[in-house]
Amino acid sequence: MTAPVRLLCVDDEERFVTTLSRLLALKNMAVTTALSGEEALGAFAPGAFDVALVDVKMPGISGVDLLTELKKRDPDLEVIILTGHASVDIAADIMSRGGSDYLLKPCPTSEVEAKILSAMERRAARAGG
Amino acid sequence: MPDARTLTAATAALALAAAFTPTPWSLAPGLLAGLCAWRAYRELSVCLGRSESQKCALDEQLFQSQKLAAIGEIASGIAHEINNPLAVITQESEWLAHLLDQPEPPAAEARDSLATIRSQVTRCADITHNLLGLARTWKPIRQPSDLNRCLEDMARLVERDAKPQNITLERRYDESLPKVPLDPPLMRQAALNLLVNAVQAVGRDGAVTLETGRTSDGKVFARVADTGPGIPQTDLGRVFDPFFTTKAPGKGTGLGLSITQRIVDRMGGLISAANQPGGGAVFTITLPLQDTKTENAP
Repeated sequence: MTAPVRLLCVDDEERFVTTLSRLLALKNMAVTTALSGEEALGAFAPGAFDVALVDVKMPGISGVDLLTELKKRDPDLEVIILTGHASVDIAADIMSRGGSDYLLKPCPTSEVEAKILSAMERRAARAGG
Repeated sequence: MPDARTLTAATAALALAAAFTPTPWSLAPGLLAGLCAWRAYRELSVCLGRSESQKCALDEQLFQSQKLAAIGEIASGIAHEINNPLAVITQESEWLAHLLDQPEPPAAEARDSLATIRSQVTRCADITHNLLGLARTWKPIRQPSDLNRCLEDMARLVERDAKPQNITLERRYDESLPKVPLDPPLMRQAALNLLVNAVQAVGRDGAVTLETGRTSDGKVFARVADTGPGIPQTDLGRVFDPFFTTKAPGKGTGLGLSITQRIVDRMGGLISAANQPGGGAVFTITLPLQDTKTENAP
């Protein structure tokens, strides 16, 4: 069995983050949850996570600012942004700040899992040179 | 055909020639000046009409683009506010399916998941109901009413929830206020929105002050002030925008103040938001004492 994906899941919707982490845990993922950008930065250490799943709209540090900070601390981290409303501007902003991908809420867990696995493949390809 | 400028210049030159020429020789330039003046007048009328219709077309374009921008902003707000509870429902129903697939499904946990789904459906319904409230065509029926009484009715209602949290509601009503032309149910709704916000903002042991009085320009005001954290300066201009909220997810739809503003506007008044020098937010509704506003506007 492969090593579990180390995932940091950040969203201010407590119930969403709890249930999603339970579902992803069933898919061989070790999920750490945070309810705000500040909490996420407190739990974060370079190299501790493979992928971060980050909500855009949160009180305090926004998801997009958190993405910038996380990429600054760990350039190898894959960051997937979750958003309640898709817009070309947001997508462009996420990509320009080093985000891997973005997901529109609501989405089935299988879609979240597919995005995470795709991010893991990119991470492995990068590590392989 | 000469343009209006040439015709005006010709009129002036001919009038000048007529003025300095002795009669009867001045008759010819005088008549020609009159003819040029009449042509210039007609030319200017046509130009004025054309520019007026161009201005109307530009106004219409501006109005349409503002309308589209407002619709875009509201649609984006609706998408965000509805998609979040939908995301909770999506994951919760998947979890429920997982629980039910167990050889012995944990009934308590399954019930908890169902309760979460129900509460998120209610959250979506609150948003759509409030949206309908925002879109509703209000035709206020304004009747001379006791403003203090409208506020006090809602204060008593809110006080029931506030007391267990040790939140005090201080009243500073101006008892000498005359009857104000307002729609009492709508005024009560506006007051309730402000009071609920204030109580939520102050939290435990806070204080909310209700005040009424007259303004220096002969209007009346109703004010709700709180001892909460206040409104960040950057947000002051946005508090009345639909879907703007600083509350935690599921705690506010961001439509209460938009609806309140709309109600106050329909009653011919104004509402403003500010921070108090000593801390906390203050919302002031100003209403006219005369029934001046057209009430049948959509």
